Order: sequence, then C-alpha cells, then structure tokens
Amino acid sequence: MFRHVGKGVTRLDGDEKVRGITQYADDLPIPDCWYGVVVRSPVMKGRLTSLEFDPAFDFDRVCVVTPGDIPGENVVDMMGRDMPFIAHDRIQYRGEPVALVAAPTRRLAREAAACIRPVIEEEPAIQTIREVVDTYKKSPDRLEKLSGQTIRKGSIEAGFADADIVVEREYWSGHQEQLYIEPQGMVAIPEKDGGVFLQGSLQCPYYVGPELVITLGLPLEKIRVKQSAVGGAFGGKEEFPTLVAGYCALLAMKSGKPVKIIYDRHQDILYTTKRHPSWSRQRTGLKKDGTITAMAVDFILDGGAYTTLSPVVLYRGILHTTLGYRCPHVSVDGHVFRTNTFPNGAFRGFGAPQAIWALESHMDECAEALGMSPVAFRRKNCLHIGDTTGTGQVIEQNMDPPVILERTLEKADFENKRRQSTRGVPVNGVYRGIGLCFFGHGSGFTGDGERRLRSKAALDLEYDDHGKPVVNIRISSTEMGQGTLTIMPQIAADGLRTSMDHVRCPLPDTKFVPDSGPTVASRTAMVVGSTVYGAAELLRHDLEVFASETLFGGARVELDDDRFTSAVTGDSRPFIEVAEAFLKIRGPHRVYNQFKLPDTIKWNQETFEGDSYPSYSWGCNIAEVEIDTLTCELKVRRVTGIFDIGRLINPVLAKGQIEGGLTQALGYAVMEKMNIVDGLYDASRMQTYVIPTALDTPEYDLGFLEYPYTHASPGAKGVGEIPMDGLAPAIANAVKDAMGIRFNSIPITPEMIFEAIRAKESAA
Amino acid sequence: MAARGDPGIIVRTFEDIDCAFPSNLSEALALLGDEATRGKLLAGGTDLMVQWESGSVDMPVRAISVKSLPELLVLKIEGAHVSIGAAVTHWDLRAAPVVRDALPSLAAAAATVGGRQIQMMGTIGGSIANASPAGDLAPALLADDASVVVASAARGERVMTMESFLLGYRKIDLQPDELIVRFEVPVRKEGEKEGFRKLGPRAAQAISKIMGNYRGAIAGDGTVTLFRVALGSVAETAVRLHKVEDAVTGQALNDGLIAEAERIASDSIKPISDIRSTADYRKWVGGRLIRGFLEDLKASPSG
Ligand SMILES: Cc1cc2nc3c(=O)[nH]c(=O)nc-3n(C[C@H](O)[C@H](O)[C@H](O)COP(=O)(O)OP(=O)(O)OC[C@H]3O[C@@H](n4cnc5c(N)ncnc54)[C@H](O)[C@@H]3O)c2cc1C
Repeated sequence: MFRHVGKGVTRLDGDEKVRGITQYADDLPIPDCWYGVVVRSPVMKGRLTSLEFDPAFDFDRVCVVTPGDIPGENVVDMMGRDMPFIAHDRIQYRGEPVALVAAPTRRLAREAAACIRPVIEEEPAIQTIREVVDTYKKSPDRLEKLSGQTIRKGSIEAGFADADIVVEREYWSGHQEQLYIEPQGMVAIPEKDGGVFLQGSLQCPYYVGPELVITLGLPLEKIRVKQSAVGGAFGGKEEFPTLVAGYCALLAMKSGKPVKIIYDRHQDILYTTKRHPSWSRQRTGLKKDGTITAMAVDFILDGGAYTTLSPVVLYRGILHTTLGYRCPHVSVDGHVFRTNTFPNGAFRGFGAPQAIWALESHMDECAEALGMSPVAFRRKNCLHIGDTTGTGQVIEQNMDPPVILERTLEKADFENKRRQSTRGVPVNGVYRGIGLCFFGHGSGFTGDGERRLRSKAALDLEYDDHGKPVVNIRISSTEMGQGTLTIMPQIAADGLRTSMDHVRCPLPDTKFVPDSGPTVASRTAMVVGSTVYGAAELLRHDLEVFASETLFGGARVELDDDRFTSAVTGDSRPFIEVAEAFLKIRGPHRVYNQFKLPDTIKWNQETFEGDSYPSYSWGCNIAEVEIDTLTCELKVRRVTGIFDIGRLINPVLAKGQIEGGLTQALGYAVMEKMNIVDGLYDASRMQTYVIPTALDTPEYDLGFLEYPYTHASPGAKGVGEIPMDGLAPAIANAVKDAMGIRFNSIPITPEMIFEAIRAKESAA
Repeated sequence: MAARGDPGIIVRTFEDIDCAFPSNLSEALALLGDEATRGKLLAGGTDLMVQWESGSVDMPVRAISVKSLPELLVLKIEGAHVSIGAAVTHWDLRAAPVVRDALPSLAAAAATVGGRQIQMMGTIGGSIANASPAGDLAPALLADDASVVVASAARGERVMTMESFLLGYRKIDLQPDELIVRFEVPVRKEGEKEGFRKLGPRAAQAISKIMGNYRGAIAGDGTVTLFRVALGSVAETAVRLHKVEDAVTGQALNDGLIAEAERIASDSIKPISDIRSTADYRKWVGGRLIRGFLEDLKASPSG
C-alpha cells in the first residue's frame, strides 16, 4: 500500500546543507540592512527609574526604540500576558530589554547600546529552584505563582490507607540549553503597505504574527512571516523567535530600514530560553506484593521571570508524572513559580523529561523498598491494554506498553547482565551496573488541543520555476533538522500514488501556507502528516475525475504507481502528462484538508480528566554504566532502546532522531550543567557549557515496534521528543545498581560521585 | 570595552588590529625592541581570539605574527634533547615521529588539545606563554625537565628551566621586548617510561579539570631510579610535585609506597573550585593520578 512511507529515503535537503549552499538567516542578502542590538538590564530585579543617554554619543546616527515608540501595547502576547516587550517600570531578570538600537553597522549599533544606561533601584531577587523549594516547604505564600494545575483520580487517602508501605523521595533537575548550531537570527523588512515582512530562524511561523498583532498595532494580514533554513531548534525556536521578531519589527518600523538581529553564541546562551529546572516529590503507596495503591506527586518548575509557555510545559509535565503505571488513586499538584532569571521555555520533551526523570528513578526506589527487582515491579504495575492512566484514559489496542518492556529486556539481556553488577563493591577498580527506564510520551497537543487547533494543509498543483508541473505541499510545519522536508513528500506521494519526483515541500511563508499549527509536541508526522496524506488523496481524486472526463472518454480511471489507468479500456498515461493537461486546461489547482480529532477523544481542561493525548509513543531504555574508582569518572557504555513511535515514515531519519535525542539526554544526565551567578548562567559559552561529542556516545542498540496511530493514515505517532525522556533515569538506576548509591539530582558528575562515596565512607 | 552590565556587547572587532608579519626572528625582535612598533605577539591566535572576543583581555592596537618565523618552526633532536620551536603546532607534536618516540607523553598531551582545527593552529609557545594552569602542555614539559629559550634584540638569548619560567597565574618570566624562541626537552632514555592523563568534562574537545605527566624508571629490583611528575589545574601554574618525587625516588615501589605517594600528592596541592570542577575533587583526584602513574610504572616491562 505504501511505496515511499517506510523507506529510508535520503534527506531531500541533505545535499545543499552538506555543500554549504543553504542560506540561514544571517546569510540572506538584504540590501541596506541595519543591525539591531538589545540594551539589557544589568540587575536581576528592581524598579527602572530612567534611561541615561551618554551626551558624548550622537544618537541621530542610530535608531533607538524605547517603550514610548511601541505602536501598540507593550506586552508579549503569550500566555499570561505578563511580559513587556521592553521593560518600562519593573525589572524581573538580568538581561531584560530596556531599549533597542539599530544602526547601519553592527559596530555603531553596539557603540550606541553601550552608551545607554538604565537606572534601576535594585531589589532582592530569587535565583534558583533550591530557593523556590525551600520557601515552598516553609511558606509557599511568599512565592510568586505563574501557573498551577492538579490531577485527581480516586481518593488519595484511601490509596494510602490501603498501602502496606509508603515510599517518598525528592528529585531535582537543572537548566538545559538547547545549543542548536545556528544561533537565533531574524530580519524585519518594512513593507510599502505599512506592514512588515519577517524572515528568520523559527519553528512556528504562525506563532509570530498573532503574538505581535497587539504590540505592533498591525492587523494580522500585514505581518508576513517566512522561515529561513533553520540550523537546529529543539524547542529553542518555538516561542522565543517572537521576541527577536518583535525587536526587529519595532526597529524596522521606526527606522524605515530592514533590520536584522543575529545573536552570537554568548548572547544566545545568556539571553534565550532553557529547559525548566524541576523538583519532584514522589510519594507512593505500595502493597507487600508490589501493587501500587496510591501515587501522590508534587511537581514544581522554575518558570524564570515571566509566564510565557510555562503553563503548557507544566501540563505536559504533570501528565507524565505517573504515566505508564496502573494506579487507582492519583493526586498530582503542579506549580510554576517565578525566579528572576531569563524565562524558561520549550525544549524537546517539554516538561516530560523532568517528570519521567523523577518517576522512573522512583519506581526503582519503590521496587527496592519492597525487595523486588525493577523488572518484576514494572511487570506487576505497568499499563496493559484496557487499563486507565492517571487521568482515566483507557489504553487502547494501538499501544501495548508491556511488549515494549519485554522486548527491550530481551534485547539487552538485562536479567543476566544485572547478575554481574557490582552492587557497591568494585571489581578491579570498576563499579559496573545496568539500569532500566520505561516510559511513554503523549503525541500531539495535550487533551483536545488538536481539535481546537484545526490544523490545515494544502497541496498546490502548479508549474515549477522550469515550467514543469509540480505538487507543492503547503504547510506551516518546519524543517529544523528532523526531516519534515523529506517525510512530507514521502507521505504526499503515497497519498497521490505518484513518484516523489513531482512533490516538493518549500519552506513555509504565511503568505502561501495555511496554518498547520506549530512544529512542536511530536505532532508533525502524526497530525500534519495525516492531513497532508488526506489532501493528497483529495488531489488524486480531482485528477482522476479530470483524466476520466478529458483524456479517457469518461471511463473510470485510477492513479497508481505514477500512471493513470483505466481498467475498462486498458488505456494508461503517465502522471506528468495528465498534470500538464490539467494545468493547461484548468490552471493551477489547490486542495485543502483539515485534521480531525476523533469524537471519541474527550477531555476536561478544568479537571484534567479524560483522554490527555490522542495517542502515545512508548519506549524502554536500558543503560550499562561503569564508574572508575581511580577517578570517579562515569562512562555510559551501552544503551539499548526499543521505541514504538507508530508507523515508521522514514526509518533512517527516525533512528537519527533517536540517536541524537539519546545523546542530548546523555548530556542532560551526566554533563550539562549551569549555575546562576549574579543572575546569569555561569556556563555561557561552548567552552564552559559542555555537551557530549561523538567520542562520549555509548554504543546504541536500537529497535522499533510499530503500533500505528489508528485514527488516520499513514499512522505515525511521534518521535521528536521521546528519545529525550528516558535515558537520565536509566543511567541513575544503573549507577545505583553499580554503586549502591542513589543520585536524586542530575547531571551526575564525577564530583558528585566522589562526594557521595566520601559521605558513605564517613557514615560507615 | 563591554557595555556596563551586559557581558554580551563588545564594540571593537579584530579588523581594528594593525598586524605586522616579520619574515625572520631578527625582524621580529627589532619590531619588539622598539616601543613604537611593539605589538602583542600573535601565534595561532587560539587563545587570543577567544580572549579578545569575550572581552577578558583588551584588544591591542598592534600585533606581531610569529607563526611563520623559521627560527620558531624547528623540530629536531640536538644531542641529548629535542629542540622544539615555539611556533610548532599541537598537530606537529602529536604527529612527528621524533616527538612520539623521544617525548611520548608530550605527544599524548598535544593530541588531547581541542580538536583538529585548534591543533593545526595552536602552538606550544602560545600555550606556555598563555600560562593558563589548564594548559595541557606545561606538565609534560615540567616532568621532562625542559628548558625554555627566550630572546630579545637587546640582550640576545636567555635560557631558563620551565619551572622557573612559570611565575604565577598567567605570568611568565618574559620581558616586553622578548619572545619565546624554542624549548629544549631532554630525550627519554632507554628504560624510562612516560605517562599522561587528562580528566575533562568529556572525552574530547575539553579543557582539563586536572591533568598530569610523569617520567620515571625502576631498576630490576623494583627500586625507583627516576620519578618526575607534574600536575596542571591544581595551582596558579602547572606544578612539579617534588615532595612526591623525593618520597619515592630510591625506594622500593610497592603498594605501601604508592599509597604514601597518593597521600603526599593530595596533601601538597591546593586547588580551587571553578566552573569545571571542585577543590575537594581536584585535591583527591590529584593524588589518584599519582597512584595511577606509579601503578603504571610498576607494571612496566623493566619493573
Ligand atoms: C576551541 C578551543 C579548544 C581548546 N582546547 C584546549 C585544550 O584542550 N587544551 C589546551 O591546553 N588548550 C586548549 N585551547 C587553548 C589553546 O589552543 C592553546 O593554549 C594554544 O596552544 C595557544 O597557542 P596559540 O598559538 O594559538 O596562541 P595565541 O593565542 O596566538 O597566543 C597566546 C599567548 O601567547 C603569546 N605568545 C604566542 N607566541 C609567543 C611566543 N613565541 N613568545 C612569547 N609569547 C607568545 C601571545 O602573545 C598570547 O599572550 C583551546 C582553544 C580553543 C579556542
């Protein structure tokens, strides 16, 4: 049935990227372009009383934007609406914009920026999740809450009353930087009609326009947004580009010049979003036979200075704090609190990695408290078909969590290897251990979000630049390295039943593409992919009818394998001939399709009850680790993983996503570390913010199980985020297995291992 | 020239620097000898460009490139030592057979500096003159008992031991009119063993948390006849651990001695905490590296 879906088709954008031809935001040739710079607050918190302009500098040569120059409201129109574009009164984080400057050269812009000084009455600030949690435990009222949400199932009191033992632990995780290769970049070009054209490095073209309407005071039609090639994003170009776009647009509208802002690496690390630091308190009621009777979770995220997207990160987080286990009584309390640091934001996994880090470390702790093996404990409690999740969602036929678990255990030879673990007594100077993590990841927007989103896709049959017929896929989904530009033509060609040669997927431009929603939440292959497939089927139908009427004398015609054939007459014509005839006679043709969430999916956004995701991907990771007693260095030797991400559209790209994501998760687990010093991240360059290299990656032994999404073809679920979810707890569980020591915060560094051994020795 | 409060804004650019390209050592020394033409010495630029860009060091008005001075590119055995020009790159050090055979732990250290691009540009002279305690080459030169040769137009050549050349944090015994010409490193003799170990936050492309080198030898009866050892990133400069050397030299290399050496090493260093590691860990693991070296020496064929 599928000819292209399921094949490891070579990346369509690979050649130009490898050759270095691809133009990124900073490469775009824009005549007479000015450079923008942001003037920032040097303090974390306070009251901004004035701006001092150095009288020695001639400000007539540059364009300066302060709050008074904003045509509309001085607010970033995201959730919460609490963040101004340019601070005018309150300062909430170090680096908050206080003015914008543009000039014909980058140097002049920087010179001008250095001559503007904000005067701020400083106030005491709160910087870290540790401070937040300390206060939360003593006097939570003193914290500023940015968002909150609960989940309730059954009666948590009854659940604990049923329990023989209760296991309670706390788990911490820190900031993580996306570290995409291409830093943030955007250019704004004023248009003759008073509108503005924005082009840059971004994931979600249809976030930018609507979020700028009230600030720029322009109608949505006058804000055109085009994606330039993106050199990596990982969520870092989800909501953040709206800010850079706003800075550029404000400067362009005031100066009348095109204005671009390209961050250098240091600015990019200091002044863009990070993964939210988290704290989880997992409290679990257990029967002696291993049955879970109650799961109570407190889940706190450090939101940074403003709300931005934190509520939705929190929702996804709390929905994954108990996911994967059968439990009649569940109570989850989630909070996002303010700290005076750069607002934290989207990053691959979006709250789930933090939740799963705690949950899966804790499941091992529960097993140990019961004297059970981690495998037996998970076998006893993991969700089977027909079971319900914490929100009451019934696990359906198209997902089978226990099979994933069993297959991975077999593949890694887990039970045998675990018998050779050192359990706290090193052999020949080495601790050796193996650890397990089992997890799911909701595909698409939370709850019925996909119903409200109504994602659209269009296909245009038209002429290409060489006058040849081509089918252009018109979607707002973006390529950022993950393969959208390759899988969409695969899917469309299968919907059309043509060869891939006739199908293209140009970079999105809001002038030409409908809104297919943002490129986030592991939703593109499932939601937009199936919408494109449906559109292709519609186009095929239109072409078959045309061919029949015009070229086959009314006989019924079917398009298959790139040819129109009439079963009645035996006549057959190639696709390209019919497409040419169509264009000549009827002209260009567009078909639309819209994603439909099945009515059976029901969700209560107030109570968080019902079907929290249209579908789930599942995974199991097994990590094998060694700790050298000479140096306390930790080496992850091997990672075995099986993932169910639905139908594989492109197995090569899918494996690339898994290996890359696991390596990012490895960094999260054992390397990537930032502290806040005077309101700034101390690791603010590639020299100090250390991510894994190829030499640090373990041997990966990976496999897939395909349980397709059943509500639409071709049936992909989601692969983008799930590889980020499970490796950190698998490693922590392996370290526990090796050393007998539990680490409850990541990253687990040699320094921490050394301290832990010393503490254990001095206690003994 | 960073804007007040914002470490992200640097105004000046590299194009502002007036750079001279002398064609030999005497031309370079002449430029350096006259205050009117004196400029910042620039070799591979792999430290300087980073420092200028980050604003941690002000960009100079003038620079003098020493990367192609023929006198600074020598790399050959001269009698009992290897002569290594200051502009010899990390790549040359890791690849040249003479270094690999005669000074294997220097070659090993050079092979861990940055990635290939950095190894092709970065020089041994730049690394030593930069005088960062985290520079990976200094412990090898200390453990190998190297000398450094500097020169000026006014006073000609001056020779010092590496140990006396390293004065403190980013401080070396070099006058404003001098530059480093070459290093003279005693060739490893028959029966001498060397080792290098670097601990970084990852397996490659990493600045050291701590690293060290040794050169040693043991007699047939297990007595240590030579042990020189140095560590980096544990003090303001890379340091020789004389107390450890004294404690083991002439002694029988057994488990008790190794434990004693580990303790002395750990006691004799006073590292700091910084973004890469903690003082406590460095102090402990400094001793562990010495243990590793002595175990390595003990396992050597002659031992
Ligand atoms: C990405 C990256 C990774 C790195 N990784 C490592 C690493 O793993 N380990 C490590 O040790 N280093 C590392 N470095 C630092 C650097 O590469 C070395 O210190 C390098 O050897 C410096 O040499 P250079 O020729 O580039 O020096 P330059 O930057 O040109 O100069 C450095 C200093 O030496 C002075 N100088 C240069 N030549 C002479 C001379 N002949 N006489 C007197 N003074 C002189 C200059 O004036 C300057 O003060 C890294 C750097 C980068 C950018």
